[in-house]
Amino acid sequence: MTRQAKEIFIKYIFFIFALVSVIVLAMIVFSLFREGLPIFKVVSFKNFVFGMEWYPTYDPPDFGIFPLIVGSFVVTFFATLIAVPLGVLAAIYISEIAPRAIKEILKSVIELLAGLPSVVLGFFGMVVVAPILQETFDLPTGLNIVNASVILALMAIPTISSISEDALYAVPQEFKEASYALGATKYETIIKVIFPAALSGISTAVMLGMARAIGETMVVLMVAGGSAAIPESIFDSVRPMPASIAAEMGETPYRSAHYHALFATGMVLFFLTLTFNIIADYVSHKFKQTGSATL
Amino acid sequence: MDANVIISLNNVNFYYGQNRALTDITMNFRKNKVTALIGPSGCGKSTLLRLLNRMNDLIDDTRVEGDIIYEGKNIYSPDIDPVEIRKKIGMVFQKPNPFPKTIYNNIAYGPKLTASNTGDINMLVEQTLKQAVLWDEVKDILNQSAMKLSGGQQQRLCIARALAMKPDILLMDEPTSALDPISTAKIEELIEELKKDYTIIIVTHNMQQAARISDETAFFYLGNLIEYNKTEKIFTKPDVKQTEDYITGRFG
Repeated sequence: MTRQAKEIFIKYIFFIFALVSVIVLAMIVFSLFREGLPIFKVVSFKNFVFGMEWYPTYDPPDFGIFPLIVGSFVVTFFATLIAVPLGVLAAIYISEIAPRAIKEILKSVIELLAGLPSVVLGFFGMVVVAPILQETFDLPTGLNIVNASVILALMAIPTISSISEDALYAVPQEFKEASYALGATKYETIIKVIFPAALSGISTAVMLGMARAIGETMVVLMVAGGSAAIPESIFDSVRPMPASIAAEMGETPYRSAHYHALFATGMVLFFLTLTFNIIADYVSHKFKQTGSATL
Repeated sequence: MDANVIISLNNVNFYYGQNRALTDITMNFRKNKVTALIGPSGCGKSTLLRLLNRMNDLIDDTRVEGDIIYEGKNIYSPDIDPVEIRKKIGMVFQKPNPFPKTIYNNIAYGPKLTASNTGDINMLVEQTLKQAVLWDEVKDILNQSAMKLSGGQQQRLCIARALAMKPDILLMDEPTSALDPISTAKIEELIEELKKDYTIIIVTHNMQQAARISDETAFFYLGNLIEYNKTEKIFTKPDVKQTEDYITGRFG
């Protein structure tokens, strides 16, 4: 084989490997739609997404996933509320304040948290968090929004923290020096220079953390309580979309209406995470601040 | 101490870890003069400059010995707050480093940190931009990002930003090394203008620049102060052979 032929051969080999993940994704999306779309012959799109009743096994069944969507959003919202301050502040501490030894320890602990299997976190939520909630607030069950949000937040923190940290590290040293040279304290420099300069990266981190939380299945299956109704308080149980799919898929007859409804739920979930990822991508490009001086 | 001396060093040694970067430096900087620090790369001139406003504090594992006396006090004594020192001793860096904020906010940044100074920021912005001879170029775009300015404009903005703190001393670390000749000329004119009101200490690699703009010149080599005298004297008949060799381009 000539040298050129070899180069071309190698180029295409790599191209094919790169293509594999694209093809796999396309096939998954295709089958998701093939299995999900038939539900709209049984129920209209509007009644599916905004329907208030999810009784897929009744006769006649009700396929309204609005309570599930609300469930997903509620736990994601509260998880974000908890995870963003913790993740971002931890990232600021690690990248700007901590002495080197503490920095290394903290970083590896947070990475370890990312490595915990979700079933372990779910188990923690069931046997530790749930009884505490139940006793403290005198509730019928500790498996509820608060519990799910706390555990989801634990899962989102590593994502938010490590991506924010990268964004903070990327702030040029020159900005910091300029600020210190004007008589700013470390705190003022962090708040007024470093944080704003890293904001686009931090927003990306938050969006990706939310995408992680909304798609997470095992935790919400184990600790959200599983009630398919619009919650009235943060101590109510909910049934987020992934939990519903995971819990019911094994019980549904192949290609029944219920089966199609679950795939359609998966489609909704797919679009939601896609939206989060697109927003994250947009934010990271749109608000990217030009680096230090260009000559 | 001589009333014309604004800051003086007594037997200053400086270490990066185990390495001694400055050896027994004793020198006085005079008020309202431009003092140039020259010498080959790694001779310690930038290190010395950064000692004067305690910027070296930001680098881990460094150590200072000796006294640097400013306003009658050693700025390295434990009861001195480096933040206060930096408010009075401003700095302009080698690479223009405006904040990724608007032109207006770049200038207002420093004064806004000092709560008492929040009086008339608009006027201060105008005044300092005029001082830095940048006002006419930017007066209509004060709310645009400073990143859109050219390199030379950015550097004048950085000078204006430092002036907005009304410092006693302005430290400049090779402020024109990243600029084209025209921008360099503008900055040099500006320095000429500024020395009426400020004491300027400038590190430069450009010998002609030192000769053009400074009143006094200090030549450093390998962390030692070799010769320190009137610029005219240094550039015409230096006392030390090494200085002459460096200035005439025989080494460095």
